[in-house]
Amino acid sequence: MTTASTGNRPRTVRWLLRLHRPALYGWAALVVVLAGVLLAVRGPLTDAAAEGWRQYNACQGEDTACSYDQDAILRYKDWSGYATFAVTALPFLVAGWAGGALTGRELETGTAWLGWTQSTSPARWLAVRLAVPAAVVTAGAAVTVWLHHLAWSAGQGRVDTAKEWYDRFVFHANGPSTVALALAGLAAGALCGLLLRRTLPALLLGVVVTAVVRLAAEFALPHLWPAVTRLAGTDQVANGSGITVDEGYVTRSGAHVPLSHCAWDRPCADVVARFHTYQPRSHYWPLQLTTSALILAVAALLVAACFLVLRRRTGATHTAQAPAVPTGAAV
Amino acid sequence: MSSDTALRAEALGKRFGRRGRALRDCSFRLPAGRVCAVVGPNGAGKSTLLTLAAGLAAPTEGTLSVLGTTPAAARPRVGYLAQDKPLYPQLTIAETLRMGADLNPGRWDAAAAEEVVAAGDLDPGSRVRTLSGGQHTRVALALALGKRPELLLLDEPMADLDPLARHQLMGTLMAEAAQHGTTIVMSSHVVAELEDSCDHLLLVGDGRIRLSGDIDELLAAHLRVTAPESAALAPHTVVDSRVTGRQLSALIRPAGPVPDAWRTSAPSLEELVLAHLRNPGAPSLVEESAA
Repeated sequence: MTTASTGNRPRTVRWLLRLHRPALYGWAALVVVLAGVLLAVRGPLTDAAAEGWRQYNACQGEDTACSYDQDAILRYKDWSGYATFAVTALPFLVAGWAGGALTGRELETGTAWLGWTQSTSPARWLAVRLAVPAAVVTAGAAVTVWLHHLAWSAGQGRVDTAKEWYDRFVFHANGPSTVALALAGLAAGALCGLLLRRTLPALLLGVVVTAVVRLAAEFALPHLWPAVTRLAGTDQVANGSGITVDEGYVTRSGAHVPLSHCAWDRPCADVVARFHTYQPRSHYWPLQLTTSALILAVAALLVAACFLVLRRRTGATHTAQAPAVPTGAAV
Repeated sequence: MSSDTALRAEALGKRFGRRGRALRDCSFRLPAGRVCAVVGPNGAGKSTLLTLAAGLAAPTEGTLSVLGTTPAAARPRVGYLAQDKPLYPQLTIAETLRMGADLNPGRWDAAAAEEVVAAGDLDPGSRVRTLSGGQHTRVALALALGKRPELLLLDEPMADLDPLARHQLMGTLMAEAAQHGTTIVMSSHVVAELEDSCDHLLLVGDGRIRLSGDIDELLAAHLRVTAPESAALAPHTVVDSRVTGRQLSALIRPAGPVPDAWRTSAPSLEELVLAHLRNPGAPSLVEESAA
């Protein structure tokens, strides 16, 4: 070991990776295992289940005992469910780690102070702690989401029990909104750690904040793109396949009223049709992208809050240029 | 601004939310090159003062300049050792020092840091989590000294050390100060611990600066007197006075010659500190010459 390291910039990234090496390896292992499961679902598990469904459909209507590969169908259902759950859980895992290990523990044990009293400013300390994990999280989450989409697509039209595109969990696991939520989780966890300065509470609150962001996104989702309205006779069901925004009756005056407007004991004379307002499948990508953008905006706000909290605590965070200091005055 | 000033506080204050004030209206100047003891009871505001100087917290009132600039701008030139000496437990000693080198490019003195570690007979390959309290402090000190700071802030550095380790580390520190002209500021609530090594005193009591200045000058400005009970102490400034039997003992700041009838002696540093802490109402003395 010799005196001066090359260059004059502190090598903060290298030490961040060293300090969080177990988490980095754990994340890599998780992504690899999950990728393996998703590829298995996409290939052999889907093929076997599709064959099972083919056998099952072939013996419809026959009275004779029918043999079909039920195990394959159940195996597909189980494993595709596990995979969707795991992809859904990624943002929460990131949030817990960020709150607990990335900032919460450093502030609890005081090692953050160790970092802030080297030749780097607290702002840079935080910037590195957000940027490097953000890159790693984005890469890992993007790969799993892409593979999830492939695995899900493979079952469409072949496996009758495959989830629909608008399934609450599949919708996000199939697209970039999960990556965006993982980044929001990173920022939320980091902020909780900075605010609470304790490992466990920051871990828990980080997960809770991420859950709130996700629920808010699910709540807003149907309204994030202009929906389609389909009409049908009053005795029919105006059922469009997709995410329901609203449904009910249309009155003679053209007003939309809820389904509860009419009932068995309260027939209504003024309705002329039923309507169903929904997001069809063709709206998947617009909905996905607007949701992702919205979640990313929340993540940006959380990041800004992190820097504000840090500046409030440590005063000026930049080491480079100092404002003028009052001179001379006798004490 | 003058580079001969390590720390200058003007009306410095720090409030923590609604929990109250840690420091109020603190004004003092610490010349560069001094070894300064920050003394005061637990909770007096010593740690807060050091964290403000290290740029870890922002003052709520007044200003504090460090090495002629803001605490943030002085960061690369300041070393800081927190009371609980935080280090990353999963790193080895060698890794910890390598981290110091990487995070302080252009400043790091690997030889100095390794010397501090070697003096403690420590294996560079051992993990920080396996170290004893004294060994841990030694590594933290090596990290702070390897930065070759112009100002070294140490918060209760010797608190958890046995007398031998304390003696050794103090020796290391003093050698550093002598060799490189480093200004050292160390806090303690044990006065005796600092008496031999420090030449400057900052006495903090209840968030205020009670005494500030060169220790010899501060001692010379005070007098311990024993007088008859009826003696009038005016016009001298009385810091502490006590009647035992028919005798009055007091610690005063003489305003002029005292009567020959009084018995006088020079106070010890500990007496000076205790007298001020026992009497929160006694006027503070912030040396004008230091301003």
